[in-house]
Amino acid sequence: MTISLNHPLIKKSQSLIALFLLCLFISLLSDKFMTSANLWNVLRQISVNVCISVGMTLVVLMAGIDLSVGSVLGFTAAVCAGLLKNGLAFESMDLFVGFTVLGAILVSVLIGLVLGLFNGWVITKFSIPPFVATLAMLTIARGLTMLYTEGIPISNLGTAFEFIGSGWMLGIPVPVWISIFMVLIVVFLTKKTTFGRYIYAIGGNEKAAFLSGININKIKLAVYGIAGMMAAVGGVLVTSRLNSAQPNAGTSYELDSIAAVVIGGTSLSGGIGTVTGTVIGAVIIGVLNNGLVLLDVSPFWQQVVKGFVILLAVIIDKMNQKNK
Amino acid sequence: MKKKYIYILAFLIIAILGYNSVYFKKLSDIKKTQKESFDFKAFADSIYYKGILKSKKTIALTDLITSIKTNQEAAFTKHGNRLGIGNSAYFMIKSTGKIIDIKDGIYTIADEKNGVVFIDTKYIFGNDLRDASGLVKLTDFKTNAQFNKVSESLNEIVRNEIPKQTKNVKIGDSISFSGAIKLNKKQTLFTDLLIIPSQIKLQ
Repeated sequence: MTISLNHPLIKKSQSLIALFLLCLFISLLSDKFMTSANLWNVLRQISVNVCISVGMTLVVLMAGIDLSVGSVLGFTAAVCAGLLKNGLAFESMDLFVGFTVLGAILVSVLIGLVLGLFNGWVITKFSIPPFVATLAMLTIARGLTMLYTEGIPISNLGTAFEFIGSGWMLGIPVPVWISIFMVLIVVFLTKKTTFGRYIYAIGGNEKAAFLSGININKIKLAVYGIAGMMAAVGGVLVTSRLNSAQPNAGTSYELDSIAAVVIGGTSLSGGIGTVTGTVIGAVIIGVLNNGLVLLDVSPFWQQVVKGFVILLAVIIDKMNQKNK
Repeated sequence: MKKKYIYILAFLIIAILGYNSVYFKKLSDIKKTQKESFDFKAFADSIYYKGILKSKKTIALTDLITSIKTNQEAAFTKHGNRLGIGNSAYFMIKSTGKIIDIKDGIYTIADEKNGVVFIDTKYIFGNDLRDASGLVKLTDFKTNAQFNKVSESLNEIVRNEIPKQTKNVKIGDSISFSGAIKLNKKQTLFTDLLIIPSQIKLQ
């Protein structure tokens, strides 16, 4: 029995096959790649991108884009670290409000949600293209981060907080558990809820979705809100891993997340794609990054290679759409 | 009826999360505890008298400028100190010159090799001295407020010391001085530099 390259199973598993071939290729060239320490390290590293990318998947499924996730990550990470370390002081009331790890995380996720909702509000209320609206938020959030941190890292956040990014639970790194949890939530949203079906419907044909009675603005608002929240979760992971919030944290993370979404098979024109595909896309990016480092490729060439991989993924996506 | 239970459940969850998220204290108590636990004045004294004044890392202003013009990146790495990111860094420098003007605590100095520079002996604020010294690390302090408190104490020492050192100084005198300056990588001109002094000596 022979299976052609156009077989639906092959087409459906394109990203997985690409990941397998990539792993095979790198393991042939580097004996360090297939060690458990390295593989856990790769998973720990990609957990941030996974969190951001699953949020981005919902946005792209709706034929949108969110360029602000990296900056939102940076800002929420800084706020989380700032609250944890300095709390809030109200001189006039002689009051100090301290934050526990849980409190700081909740506030930063809430801020991520608010910034995401703001993106959604601008996009729906003023009919501004998502590219422009989120580009503006990219600059706003980065500026806010610089103002909040004064360009100085906020460090020494305590061992309890550090555990989130560096700890292990049941033999698996904590960030991996968190990213799995986030993925499961978004998979549930997309597969098992009407909200998920509305996202696909809007991405497939916005006009038809509107005419069939879907409240498009409400769904868009929620999706951008979720993307902001996911970025904030990524921010918590980055900060806890370093035990420090860096003012430039998250710079260009939006590109890695868009790359993961596209490589994972989600169509930039919306309506087609899966969260699991995005996870595979994020793993491909992570493995590629790790492999290029292990193979001692210059960081500049790494960027070139990554760019070509994204380009290849988009071309394959276009060709698939044409064939349909 | 079902909605009522959902609201009650949501309220309970929010209440439990809120209770475990924040804690309240008197700000005055916090400040008192911080004061008791760390003597900032003693720490700043030691940084100033044993660190800054005796530092061998203080570079002659002329050498610094030459070094920056030769290899900016290397000069910033070797002689500069900075806490965060960005193009600016702080440097501890020394030089000599003649006072050509004194106005509102700002000495205008005709530096022998570097043209006109200014020394601010009155408005000594900010983190220039702390950061230029490279002796105080952010990670040594629990909060940013404590870290900034070091600057306050250090500036206070300088505000007290400089008037003693410049008691008999007048226009026309030659002085040697050391202090902190902030330079930017995009800076191409090194004239009109403003120095926050750590020491001024009549020659």
